[in-house]
Amino acid sequence: MITDFFISFSTYVIIYIIIVSSFNISFGFTGLVNLGHMVFFGIGAYTSAILTLHGMPWYFALILAGLFTSLIGAAIAAITVRLKGDYFQIVTLGLVFIAIAISRNWISLTRGALGLPGIPPIIKDNFNYMLFTFLVCVICLAFFYWLTKSETGKIFQAIRDDETAASILGKNTYFYKVLSITISTFFAGIAGSLFVHFIKFVDPSIFDLDFFVIILTMLVAGGLASITGSIIGVVSLAITSEALRFVVVNPELIGPVRHMSLMLILILILIYRPRGILGKVNV
Amino acid sequence: MPLQSILPQLFINGLIAGSVYALAACGFALVYYVVKFQYFSQGAILTIGAYIFFLFLNLMGLNYILAAILSIIISILAALTTNWLVYRPLRKRKAGGVPLLVASIVILIFSSSLMQALFGSSTKTLLLSNQNKVFTFGFLTITLFQIAIIILAFILFFLLFYILMRTRLGKAMRALADNKDVAQIVGINPEKIYNYTFIISAVLGGISGILIGLEQNLYPRMGVLIIIKGFISSVIGGLGSVPGAIVGGLFIGLVENIGIWFLPSSYKDVISFSIMLLFLLFRPQGILGVRMRDDN
Repeated sequence: MITDFFISFSTYVIIYIIIVSSFNISFGFTGLVNLGHMVFFGIGAYTSAILTLHGMPWYFALILAGLFTSLIGAAIAAITVRLKGDYFQIVTLGLVFIAIAISRNWISLTRGALGLPGIPPIIKDNFNYMLFTFLVCVICLAFFYWLTKSETGKIFQAIRDDETAASILGKNTYFYKVLSITISTFFAGIAGSLFVHFIKFVDPSIFDLDFFVIILTMLVAGGLASITGSIIGVVSLAITSEALRFVVVNPELIGPVRHMSLMLILILILIYRPRGILGKVNV
Repeated sequence: MPLQSILPQLFINGLIAGSVYALAACGFALVYYVVKFQYFSQGAILTIGAYIFFLFLNLMGLNYILAAILSIIISILAALTTNWLVYRPLRKRKAGGVPLLVASIVILIFSSSLMQALFGSSTKTLLLSNQNKVFTFGFLTITLFQIAIIILAFILFFLLFYILMRTRLGKAMRALADNKDVAQIVGINPEKIYNYTFIISAVLGGISGILIGLEQNLYPRMGVLIIIKGFISSVIGGLGSVPGAIVGGLFIGLVENIGIWFLPSSYKDVISFSIMLLFLLFRPQGILGVRMRDDN
């Protein structure tokens, strides 16, 4: 019982680490406040689910989920990163509602609000699946650490700090912004695929803003522009949120109370510690 | 049925939806105009207004006018509390647009979780909804509450214009919106005017929450769905313009309802978002041509 709980908890934490640190690439490092980041997680989840339900082997589905998601990410970024100021955030927030509407209405592909049940697992045994996600997570994190130290990562941060200066120095800021979104959505898609093969079910509620707010809290708590910060943010908040299970007696209230306490934490961080735990820049 | 004979009905439905969107949008736009941030938590105020009305009317059996007044007062208190606890500290630490935007989205989602915890996730019906009368004119059907929504919305728009254009308070608001530093030099206290702005938008939010509750029932996520439409209206009409928000709201209401003649009705959201995207790409200043913000 206890080990089962621990294994599934760790798997969630590992998948959250991938999604939060990929979010950090666009939000923290490049300064692109992509409020629709979880849409790409959902697209990855749906892609992988639909492909494996149609008999495709999981490794193809996993890679294709990443590639397809980043393709959509790149296409959306190519249109939207030109928008000035608030408008980028507005459009990416809009993606959430477009994704919900499409996944509810494209019945022949997504079965609408009923969702897609019975998604085949990648590895049947939960413990081995945890090890598998851990392996994927390590590869992703190694890439993120390399990327953020590389020249590309430096250009991302230059764009965040001063886009005009970066373009004066001859950097094609438009290209790098699209690249940043493409990379971060690729890993969002991978995380979505890992997630959906673990819970074996997907429905339009995967796009809900509630889920996004949790990811955002973890990111901001860990700190922007720090991959290590994201890992710490996810682990500490996941433990906090699980611990609430023992505080709240009424089982119906656990969900809302968890959400609300995470949101309170986010507000407090925004006001009193905008850098989070290890962040390099203020929110 | 041919389009010509159903068009008046679609037009009326569009006008009703449009009035609701415009009501939600003008509270949002007023705060955006004066306080300069994206005030998504207007959706939270709306939800609170509707649920408190439900609490007083259905659960405590108060008279509906008294219940409405009390729920508007509580909406105002809620708006002032969020300003006092969250937005003012953020402004004090000179936070940019992103933290304020994130905070307002968080408060919006918070309200839906709070209502779910307090009242449960099931849909609630207001007692008054039973007393709805239906009027039929030929092909046209409209209910009493729908007429009330349209009339009340236009009265509120008129009052809002009157406050903005004809009173000292409105003048101070417009001065702050134009240039905060200069406004402070001539002796306008921004925090005080901001409080009044939140109060006015909370009155609009409380009333629209009650009206939406009467028209569509209550559910914890109602604020999220309505304020997104209000926000789209505001972008289409011209972000940061109160008349723009009203024009945008009516426009979106009409386009969505006439558009569902051609598309399944659940694609309403896609229609309005696509229009918003087109506006952002080709006419970011909106229908009324508001100057784009250049300060971030």
